[in-house]
Amino acid sequence: MSTANPTVFIIDDDPAIRDSLTLMIAQEDISVMAFDSAEAFLDACQPECLGCAIVDIRMQGMDGLQLQEQLAKREILLPIIFLTGHGDIPMSVRAIKAGAVDFLTKPVTREKLISSVRSAIREAEKNFTESIHHHDALSHLADLTSRERDVMLLAIQGYPNKEIARRLGISHRTVEIHKSKIMHKTGAINLLDLARIAHDGGLSS
Amino acid sequence: MLFDATADVMLLIDDKGLIIRANPATKTLLGFAEEEICGLEVEALIPEKYRSHHRHYLDAFYKEPVKRTMDSGRALVILCRNGKELTVKIGLSPINAGERLYILVTLYVADQRHQSEDALKISEERLRLAKQAADLGVFDFDSKCKVVDWDERMRELWGAESCDTITLEQFVTAIHPEDRKTRQSALDYAMDPNSTGEYNVEYRVINPANGVERWVAAVGRMHFEDGNATRLIGVARDITEHKTLEKKLQEQRAETETLFAQQVATQTVSAIAHELNQPLAAISAYSEVALHALQNDVIDTVKLKQALEGCVKQAQRAGNSLHELLAFLQKGNLVTERLNLNHIVNESLNIAKSYGYGEFQPILQLEQNLPAVLGNRVQVQKILVNLLRNGVEAMREAGVPTAAITITVRTNTEMNMAHVTVQDSGPGLDAETAKRVFEPFFTTKPSGMGMGLAISRALAEANNGQLWLEPDTKAGATFHFTLPFAL
Repeated sequence: MSTANPTVFIIDDDPAIRDSLTLMIAQEDISVMAFDSAEAFLDACQPECLGCAIVDIRMQGMDGLQLQEQLAKREILLPIIFLTGHGDIPMSVRAIKAGAVDFLTKPVTREKLISSVRSAIREAEKNFTESIHHHDALSHLADLTSRERDVMLLAIQGYPNKEIARRLGISHRTVEIHKSKIMHKTGAINLLDLARIAHDGGLSS
Repeated sequence: MLFDATADVMLLIDDKGLIIRANPATKTLLGFAEEEICGLEVEALIPEKYRSHHRHYLDAFYKEPVKRTMDSGRALVILCRNGKELTVKIGLSPINAGERLYILVTLYVADQRHQSEDALKISEERLRLAKQAADLGVFDFDSKCKVVDWDERMRELWGAESCDTITLEQFVTAIHPEDRKTRQSALDYAMDPNSTGEYNVEYRVINPANGVERWVAAVGRMHFEDGNATRLIGVARDITEHKTLEKKLQEQRAETETLFAQQVATQTVSAIAHELNQPLAAISAYSEVALHALQNDVIDTVKLKQALEGCVKQAQRAGNSLHELLAFLQKGNLVTERLNLNHIVNESLNIAKSYGYGEFQPILQLEQNLPAVLGNRVQVQKILVNLLRNGVEAMREAGVPTAAITITVRTNTEMNMAHVTVQDSGPGLDAETAKRVFEPFFTTKPSGMGMGLAISRALAEANNGQLWLEPDTKAGATFHFTLPFAL
């Protein structure tokens, strides 16, 4: 599957629903793919898939909520729009809690579905950017020695060099050398940038 | 003369111990005629083994001849003429006639009286224990004098003072007012000389002292003299616990049934909803695709055609689903048979009672020689039970003090159908309710599902009859239904 353009994945076991929704989304010039079961979608799906999924909550075989679980397990961050035959409140609560972006009742209007799809794609793109940052940050932080990490954590909390030196029991000069190496290895332009990288890499709390 | 008339054996003996007179009871009890026994020594009446002992006793008496009563006297064994031994008590009275001393011996036949007394005691004790074990009270109603003899257990149930006999009026006072009619009709039945005289009824008794209500089951039999009821003897038992349990079970059963019915309805409706919603959702989406295709300057005819074809197919699919579903729900042919509608009415009353929807007084107006109708037994019963339940619940809701339902069965000559009318004594239906009462899911009850009358009407129609509500009834809701006669 291509990752260049965001794609809408329709997963529904009713051929008429798949067909009509595919036509509708294609009219919006959005790339769309349809699958007749959750299993078929999981087989085709890659972690780098960009876009969103429209999932019928009740299906033969694996149902919508189970599919949501499987995607989470595989760390596939695909925003999910659930479709349901009738407003099943406990199910919708479960789905939303598990991260679904929307829960729509069939029949759904074009307006509602398209607006939901667009906002889901926006979220997917945001997730995508964040994950790239995260990936970059991780590779930058990976080169740091454990002493450099200690220094960085204290530095991004705003402690002056003197205090960092005192806390770690090293000289003022050594702290300065560590800091310069940290800035070089991470490519951070200033302390604020370093703090962002540490955050993206999941190091700061 | 006392000597001849008394039931005890009396012998007159002289100072030598010879019997000189004997009364007629001697013959009855000992078997000796007077002429046989006179002249015999009194010792002839004593068994061999006791004779020496007796001799001492007699000698002692002669020495000190004072009256000895039977009570103070000791038990003695006497030999009858046929050789049998009889235990008696003996009383001795000295009679002085001049120089000579006579003794009047009275033999009090202890054995016989004791035996029957003991037997009576044992039998009474046995009865008492049996009554106690079965928790039975005994009553004896004199239907001429209108008084009731009763035992301790009955008095206990009635919370009455210890008085062996009370008037019928007093007896009835403690019976729950709602149950007096039932008891009276059971009594009337038992008093009918053409009946078996059996009395079998259950009613509530309210203890006047503490207001506690108990259920009592009374069973008895009427006795007749020259075709007239004279006395009713029977037993009563406290069945309160049994009744409470029964009621609880009925409530549970009714609850389960309602739950189940609701579940069936929910499942059916969900199935229909799903079958229709899927094609509707697709039709909605196809239609919007078609609309969108029309909006462009150059109409996308390929998309338009595709979308409209989808619409047609899905609308067809929805229709087919509905037909299939209905065919599934109505599968199987209706089995009809010749039915006696009067019997069905009675059966339905029993079912309604056993379901415990509530108490009511049924009033039946049946047409005795009604020809057989053609219908499905269970479905016709269901129609009646539904109408009864509806009436009972409506009356309870309205707090009607005397809930009664009149069921009339007659021939509707105009329609040439059997015609049943079910009328309750409730407040009837307001115009708005009356208009909607047969609609599915229409209900005025908090826990009702609103399917009862809709189903009843469908059942009446399935049996080639009709069910309708009488418009503008002042007294109570009146439902009518008809069924065809069997040819």
